[in-house]
Amino acid sequence: MSSSILRTAMGLIFPLTLLFAVYMALKGHNQPGGGFIGGLIAAVALVMVRMSHGRDVMASVMPFHPRLLIAGGLAMAGVTGVVPLLFGHPLLTSRAPYVHLLGEAIHVPTALFFDLGVLMVVVGVAAGMIFRLGGEVDPA
Amino acid sequence: MTMVLAICVAVTFGVSIYLMLGRELKGIAMGVFLLGHAANLSIIAMSGSPILHTHGAEASRAPATLEPISEHLDEQRHPLMTGVNIKQPPVLEHHEPMTDPLATIVDPLPQALILTAIVISFGVMAFLLTLLVVTSRRTHTLAIAELAQEPAPEPDGGPAQA
Amino acid sequence: MNTDLIILLCVIPLAAGVLNVFLINQRAASRCVSIASFVAVLALSMYFLLYTAPLTGADSVLVSQMGGWKAPFGITMVFDSLSGLLIAAAATVALGSYIHSFSTLDPAVERRYYHPLMQMLLFGVNMSFLTGDLFNLFVAFEVMLMSSYSLLVIGTGMKQMRQAYKYVLLNVLASTIFLMAAGMVYGMFGTLNIADLARIVAEIEADPARSLPTGFTALAVMFLLVFGLKGAFFPLWFWLPDTYYTIPIAVAGLFGGLLTKVGVYTVARLFPLIFASDGAGGISLTIQVILVVAAAFTMFLAVLGAVSQHEVRRILSIHVISQVGYMVFGIAVMSGNALAGCAFYMIQHMVVKCALFLCCGVMEKHAGTDDLDKLGGLLKRDWKLGVLFFIAAMSLVGLPPLSGFFGKMVIIRSGFGEGYWYLGVVGLVTGALTLLSMLKIWSYGYCNPTPKDGYPVQTEPKAVIAGNRPAYFGIAMLVLAALFLGFGAEPVYTVAFKAGEQLENPKAYITAVLGDEAYATAESLAAEHAEIQVDSVQGSPATTDVRTDERAGSPVLAEVATHAPAEVSP
Repeated sequence: MSSSILRTAMGLIFPLTLLFAVYMALKGHNQPGGGFIGGLIAAVALVMVRMSHGRDVMASVMPFHPRLLIAGGLAMAGVTGVVPLLFGHPLLTSRAPYVHLLGEAIHVPTALFFDLGVLMVVVGVAAGMIFRLGGEVDPA
Repeated sequence: MTMVLAICVAVTFGVSIYLMLGRELKGIAMGVFLLGHAANLSIIAMSGSPILHTHGAEASRAPATLEPISEHLDEQRHPLMTGVNIKQPPVLEHHEPMTDPLATIVDPLPQALILTAIVISFGVMAFLLTLLVVTSRRTHTLAIAELAQEPAPEPDGGPAQA
Repeated sequence: MNTDLIILLCVIPLAAGVLNVFLINQRAASRCVSIASFVAVLALSMYFLLYTAPLTGADSVLVSQMGGWKAPFGITMVFDSLSGLLIAAAATVALGSYIHSFSTLDPAVERRYYHPLMQMLLFGVNMSFLTGDLFNLFVAFEVMLMSSYSLLVIGTGMKQMRQAYKYVLLNVLASTIFLMAAGMVYGMFGTLNIADLARIVAEIEADPARSLPTGFTALAVMFLLVFGLKGAFFPLWFWLPDTYYTIPIAVAGLFGGLLTKVGVYTVARLFPLIFASDGAGGISLTIQVILVVAAAFTMFLAVLGAVSQHEVRRILSIHVISQVGYMVFGIAVMSGNALAGCAFYMIQHMVVKCALFLCCGVMEKHAGTDDLDKLGGLLKRDWKLGVLFFIAAMSLVGLPPLSGFFGKMVIIRSGFGEGYWYLGVVGLVTGALTLLSMLKIWSYGYCNPTPKDGYPVQTEPKAVIAGNRPAYFGIAMLVLAALFLGFGAEPVYTVAFKAGEQLENPKAYITAVLGDEAYATAESLAAEHAEIQVDSVQGSPATTDVRTDERAGSPVLAEVATHAPAEVSP
């Protein structure tokens, strides 16, 4: 399935897709989008790398083992949820403070970290699936 | 729109049950996935314009009486549906300008339910597909009739390679 | 106390599960983390139970609103006596079978995410016990089921895989039905919060002018189908014996103890509060007939199956079903006492059944088989195992000082008291047949002489005992817990009766979740309605006092009736 056209285009498509994934994940607080969608889009980017460049390149693109990505994402989401408990609020209570950076007020809800955790889990699950299930499809 | 949705749900159910009655695990798995979609579609049909719950003791807020939720919805109802109190599914039929925001706002909760259900079925699907791959690697078949036969001695009792 | 802390019962196993993924190749560390998590859950649930024990009314129900969203809108976690008892029992069972697995589980299998999966299973189970929201219940079920699917195929042979398909496909089907039913509940009532649903149903019941929405009974039957499949009620039990027959024994013990009880728990939680209502203050006839028939057939047919089997694992698995029948019996009677008996029976059965499965694991270590024809002489070989097995088996049968007796006594007695004498008779016969099948294992396995040509696998008794110390420890722990439930039945029953009362009378639950005024409409409507009735029959006392009269049938019942809140006995 590996064609040179796809392989060349991937240099452009891959970073753009990842950027779009991050955009969707950040947009999710007030508009359609969110960690799950962002994660799926990032996973699509990985699938395309797997198709164009093969398994090894995909493995080198992944910063961590999928297992660590899943556990790390769960841990991140979990910690975001538990922190309010320490301050006497119910689990998952969120705050939405504004952070002033370079004269701009940036909206940083704590739910953002939860969503990033979700994103990591989704990418991890999808990458793990592609690694395992795509093993014999195409030795590229 | 309710009619269209009902037909969609029925067809999806029918196809998924037809697939599940097949004699190959692949088809059965596909039927199971499709069944999840049918369930999600049917939740869409349950949702509609928001029922505003105020916390307190007003008996009127309970929609259990199935009284029309708002005058507006009553007017919009399909002629076939007169006399039947069913909420309109959250699908815009025409691209009308948003004159009355209340008419176009939908209850977000069913959609949150569906998203959660989709995520869960994603996980189940991953598991089921892995199981299928492992089975076909080991036995080189996915036909139930062949799998159901007691194999002679176990070729390998070792841990799964999945 | 900060009631938000109840969520720790879910957070601890989740955190331990995540930690275990990072520790995947360090066996000792992950074992320590897991044991710490089980012990912490056990200790915390005990603490909450002791904390709520002296409280009454809405105070005795601990509530945490996730993210600070008030009840019908957000997700609610509710800790009442029933969930507390079940979580404590679940943690005990998980701890026992986990320690047991140290010596019975293949180390290669153990590396395949066994430790995280155990934690996630407990996470799912605890969340289903705690949740106060129908959809969150679905999510908790899925977490539990995903872990159970994975544990089911862990370290698999092909045989195990075939059974896994059956289990997975059936459960996915049931989950889909659950999902649709939850959607329909939302379509009908506009809420998924259990307390809010109970409030709406109570208001409809109190108001003769209103009736339940069309299709309510069908919805209830859909839920019964889903939970009946998970809980292995008649006729939805068929998946259970084959599944438990093939999996590693520690996992079988855990599943046998835990998973069916989650199904039973949800029925016990949802039906008395909401779905058994006929809209006029009574119990829907359809639901009642289904429950009664399911209880009778589950008890009786399953025990016949157990008597006919000749392999220890199969006998024990089919017994799981038969014992579920007693719990359904308790739910079918639907009085506060019967539900209390059901709660007690659930926890004692979790502990005892798990202990029996674990004993079976050590028997297999001795003889290499669980076929009773090839077993024998185990008492001489290993008298300690014999004693542990005997205590657990007799607890299951329900000989008087042991735990099973107290569970069955209350259920059967309330059955006779409330006019379900036929179920009571079936229960007694089932008890006798249970004794028969347990004595079969005892006499064939332990008392018979060792077969002449030895066991299929030759083992050295001392080596087996020395090599399985963790297994004995796990079993001993569970048997001690069973003995505690037997000899300490009094304090446990105090909590169980409270659980039954909370289930029968939703006021405490509803006001705890929704706030003080939430139940007021139902109460004022009921009072108005009662006044009208009294006026129309010229103040005859019979109409207002029916419920209390019925209850005063037996001394135990009378005791609870005195505890009943004011609005029941005017």
